[in-house]
Amino acid sequence: MNATEVARTLVERSPDALLVASLGTATSALRSASDDGPHLYFGGAMGSATATALGIADAVPEREVIALVGDGDLLMGASTLWSISALAPANLLLVALVDGHYSITGGQPISAETRFVEVARSLRHLAAARAHSTDELASLLPTLSRPGLLEAVLAERTWPGSSPFVDPHRVRRRFAARVNGGSEQDGSQTEGAEP
Amino acid sequence: MLLACDTNSAVVVPDSRLDGILQCLSEQGLPVRQLTREEECVAFAAGHRICGRRPVLFMQSSGLGNAANALGSLAVPYGLCPPLVISMRGTGEEQNPSQVPMGQSTEPLLTALGVQVFSIRSDADVEPVARRALTAGFDEDTAVAVLLEPALGGGRDERD
Repeated sequence: MNATEVARTLVERSPDALLVASLGTATSALRSASDDGPHLYFGGAMGSATATALGIADAVPEREVIALVGDGDLLMGASTLWSISALAPANLLLVALVDGHYSITGGQPISAETRFVEVARSLRHLAAARAHSTDELASLLPTLSRPGLLEAVLAERTWPGSSPFVDPHRVRRRFAARVNGGSEQDGSQTEGAEP
Repeated sequence: MLLACDTNSAVVVPDSRLDGILQCLSEQGLPVRQLTREEECVAFAAGHRICGRRPVLFMQSSGLGNAANALGSLAVPYGLCPPLVISMRGTGEEQNPSQVPMGQSTEPLLTALGVQVFSIRSDADVEPVARRALTAGFDEDTAVAVLLEPALGGGRDERD
């Protein structure tokens, strides 16, 4: 399983979910898997994608929210797991891409074993499971209770391909339109219409 | 004033000087979300903003250092900055030397990040300054911070 296959599984199995991708591999994978769909791609702010997904889940509790985050990113913002435990949003799923490396900064190994599943299970209200294949991931997506954390264990560390550098205002416009039920084409059609 | 400007949630890392405001907002039915770190609060509030909500973020000036990257790499470039209400430490008659460098850096750091700074020093400042800042923050898509200066009062106990 590689990062793009994980992202493609999310896009195909949860087509109406609001998707948030952390910087680097997760953003590249989700752009590749969704043909640059109207998702919330991070171009920076390492460690913050999980908290933004939590804010979205809190703001629109009727929508399903999925955060696709790198393992280094989740580690940097790990205290948000405690905030998720406190707020217990019933519409939030984290999918952690676990390959044990900081890919975007040059592939350096993460010094500690992350053990996100074990940490999440020790916190109140958080469910957690580990998937080693897209079949396992697909079967866990509808069954894991929310808030939940799924570790997608990556056997392949291939770079997805799409650029991780995004236009922040374009990302915001398209995602905000998606929150409001607009079509996926809204953003590109209104490109340049706002200051 | 926060309610008059249709603020609809408060995101906060605790501070004794902010307790009264938050208590008041909570009594008015506003959700108050207490998180673990200021950087996390900025990112969380950006999530509210992109969904069209109107959150205000409350923090101590020392927390601005923790929040800097989420402001500079997310909230400001994406146009998703929540109005910041910052309780100032490290200025005026600050008794704790450890608070001074971050307190003295607060305004220059905000300015460098592209966040407009408004200061409240007296009760008379509250209404006009808060209204201007919140209007800019919510309706004009501008990154703003309101600094609650020591002269405004609401001082701390020795242990704070």
